[in-house]
Amino acid sequence: MKSENEMPAAAALQLRHVTKLFGQFKAVEDVSFSLGPGSICGFLGPNGAGKTTTIRMILEILKPTSGAITVLGRSSALEVRHRLGYLPEEKGLYKKMRAWSIIAYFATLKGMTRKAARKRAFELLERYGLKDFAEKPTDALSKGMAQKVQILASIAHDPELVILDEPFAGLDPVNQGVMEDLIRDLARRDRTVLFSTHVMEHAERLCQRILLIARGRLIFDGSMAEAKRTVPRRVRLETGDDISPLRDLAEVSAVRPLPRADGQADGRDPGSLHWELELRENSDPQVILQTCFGRGIRLQSFNQSEPTLHDVFMRLVGPEAREVAFR
Amino acid sequence: MKSALLVAWREYAENAKTRGFWVGLFLFPLIVFLSVQVPILLEQKATPVRYFILVDPSRGLAPAIEAALEKSCQRQMLGALKEYARKNALPMTNSAAPRPAPSLEDLNEADALSLETFVAKGGRDFFLAQLEPRLRPGAPPFQEPRRPFQQVKLPSTINPKAELSSIADDLKPYLRQDKVLEADGLPVQLAAAILIPPDYENQIVRPQTRSPAAGPRPPASPRQIQYWSANASDPRLREEVERAVNAEIRRREYLARGMDAGVIEQVEHTYIPVASLNPKKEKGREAIGTLDTIRQWAPSAFVYLLWVAIFSVMQMLLSNTIEEKSNRIIEVLLSSVTPGELMMGKLFGIAAIGLTMVGAWVAALFGILSWKSGGASELIGQVFLVLRTSNLVPVFAVYFLLGYLMYAAFILSIGSVCNTLKEAQSYMAAMTLLMMVPLMTMTFIPKDPNGPLARVLSWIPLYTPFIMMNRATADPPLIDLLGTLVLLLATTIGALYLAGRIFRIGILRTGQPPKVLEMLRWAFRR
Repeated sequence: MKSENEMPAAAALQLRHVTKLFGQFKAVEDVSFSLGPGSICGFLGPNGAGKTTTIRMILEILKPTSGAITVLGRSSALEVRHRLGYLPEEKGLYKKMRAWSIIAYFATLKGMTRKAARKRAFELLERYGLKDFAEKPTDALSKGMAQKVQILASIAHDPELVILDEPFAGLDPVNQGVMEDLIRDLARRDRTVLFSTHVMEHAERLCQRILLIARGRLIFDGSMAEAKRTVPRRVRLETGDDISPLRDLAEVSAVRPLPRADGQADGRDPGSLHWELELRENSDPQVILQTCFGRGIRLQSFNQSEPTLHDVFMRLVGPEAREVAFR
Repeated sequence: MKSALLVAWREYAENAKTRGFWVGLFLFPLIVFLSVQVPILLEQKATPVRYFILVDPSRGLAPAIEAALEKSCQRQMLGALKEYARKNALPMTNSAAPRPAPSLEDLNEADALSLETFVAKGGRDFFLAQLEPRLRPGAPPFQEPRRPFQQVKLPSTINPKAELSSIADDLKPYLRQDKVLEADGLPVQLAAAILIPPDYENQIVRPQTRSPAAGPRPPASPRQIQYWSANASDPRLREEVERAVNAEIRRREYLARGMDAGVIEQVEHTYIPVASLNPKKEKGREAIGTLDTIRQWAPSAFVYLLWVAIFSVMQMLLSNTIEEKSNRIIEVLLSSVTPGELMMGKLFGIAAIGLTMVGAWVAALFGILSWKSGGASELIGQVFLVLRTSNLVPVFAVYFLLGYLMYAAFILSIGSVCNTLKEAQSYMAAMTLLMMVPLMTMTFIPKDPNGPLARVLSWIPLYTPFIMMNRATADPPLIDLLGTLVLLLATTIGALYLAGRIFRIGILRTGQPPKVLEMLRWAFRR
């Protein structure tokens, strides 16, 4: 992990050894990271890992038991709260307020004038396809629409640091795409975005940076490429022949039969079988191919794929995952 | 502070749009209106005319009873005429035309001589004619009050000369409403029958002839005057008859003992007035009038207003806090404003709603009063005078604000830990019970405003606003006034401070609401 000295001076967000205790329970333990301006960072972790508690501490809704948090250069988020945008995990709106007025209300709370907030609310609703619902009370909107309204409310005041807790939950695929564009657009305009999600595909498409938290501790902080490097490269192949020559290779660290479509995973079955080979770091998958040709192993298929973020997540915080610190 | 004002404005604007607010706004005046109007309507329309039969073969008492009932009708007539004049006639000018004597305004229906003058002058027709030139243009015609009791003749099938017991038996089906009578060609129901035996004089009870062992009343016998009626819940006719009969019997006793009829009448109309005086009033003006009665009871009205206002505003604050908590809007809010600003904003926004509601109620109250008592009403003038000259309105404002803030502290604590109104119900039940005390004592306090009950309750901060409001016009001792105010202020500040701490922790909590002890731990934890 980056040492504190290496953290950029103009970090949009910086946490140093932040710990939060609820009684005896350590919800967050010694978490440190920093985000530079204009970056998109995915904040990942299983349920109950401490993501929401960390976010609440960043926003000063909760006070850390120990450690320090700097937000946009200030030690208190309250001082810069007009420059922050926040979408909580559990979404809700005032039921009887109209869509535009709820966006405008949150924008005025963030320091915009009433007139400017109203104008901005209508602008945003139009841009994101909700123009016709601007005057509707929020309880007349569908769940997805209401969520879009809430997202717009959290960015209406054009914040410099945007924290989105599960922004994709409840949105259909089209609107998930719209949400991704919105996040990319924020970053393009030099806004910093920290978002949490359980859907790895979004993080994979959007993030330059990944933070992984489990049981209150930050277990990974790095770029997407670094994250993927934590998972051994894998080769998948399909053959009916004996693959024991491959097991003996120095480059191969593990060999596993892959479950078949019917859920069976019996490597001794005759006929065509699927295998997954885990390679050691810096090994060349071409060695596997060469060995197959050399030893007469007939391949029906050979697939050398990049690990996905899902693989990273499963490896790092899956049930059998060990806690590992990287870099 | 700006954020708190924004929160307050939203609370105000959004609550003012709710159905509950408008229902509350109109419900209270509607209740006041109905409680003024319904009894009047019932009196005028719903109370049926009671038809009765009077059988008095000897005609010994019938004239006295008939005269008494007629007098009662005339009293009602005079009252109605005076009310009609007050609403529809221009006030009498002092200078121009000579004041006719007697004028309607000089007569008092409660005074026997006035009533006699009214009847002697020609009653309704005379005074209506007298009123005619002074009537406002477009005044409605005078509506004569209905006679409450109407005498009807014995049905032709019953022999009036028969024994009283047989007449009573014959009348029973009519009295049980099994049969109807006819009066002026219309079928009517018989409400009562008064049967007077010819030898009623033998039944007169005299102290000098009655043995003390006989008890207070002789047992019922068929030889007594009988009042038959299936309806025991309306005793007015019975009382009128009893009063008239006994007055007549006594008059005859005086005559029998050699007193002059004129003297008797004079004696009957002789009385001595008793003046109510208040030693606290300015010398020469110690007499207690309507104004003082209003002054004494007005605080009670304000206590009621205070209670209803605080209670309804509490409900708003509670449902509103729970909505924000259960909707999780609270998290977004807390990323924009501090919990302190949020609390302040809510408190002031809802207080403003409460004041708007109370203001509207007071305005509606005045409207109803002035409408009910005619344009230039004497009563409304006096109520205004009391409000202007007393400290009731500023005192009300102070106690509303402090009382509201203190109770709001409890409500915010409850609201911040409950996820649904249902969860809040058990806490609210306890609050409501606590709040019932000032309502129950509301009518006792003005009777002894500086007595032990009033003083003790005043020093309990939960009740200070209500009880001190109740004592507002009774000049409570300075120590009570200032001491309780300081205590109330300190309690309110303390309660708000502790509520702030509970609010901060409770508002983000999910799951079961905590026990009261745990909430106290949050409040007092360092």
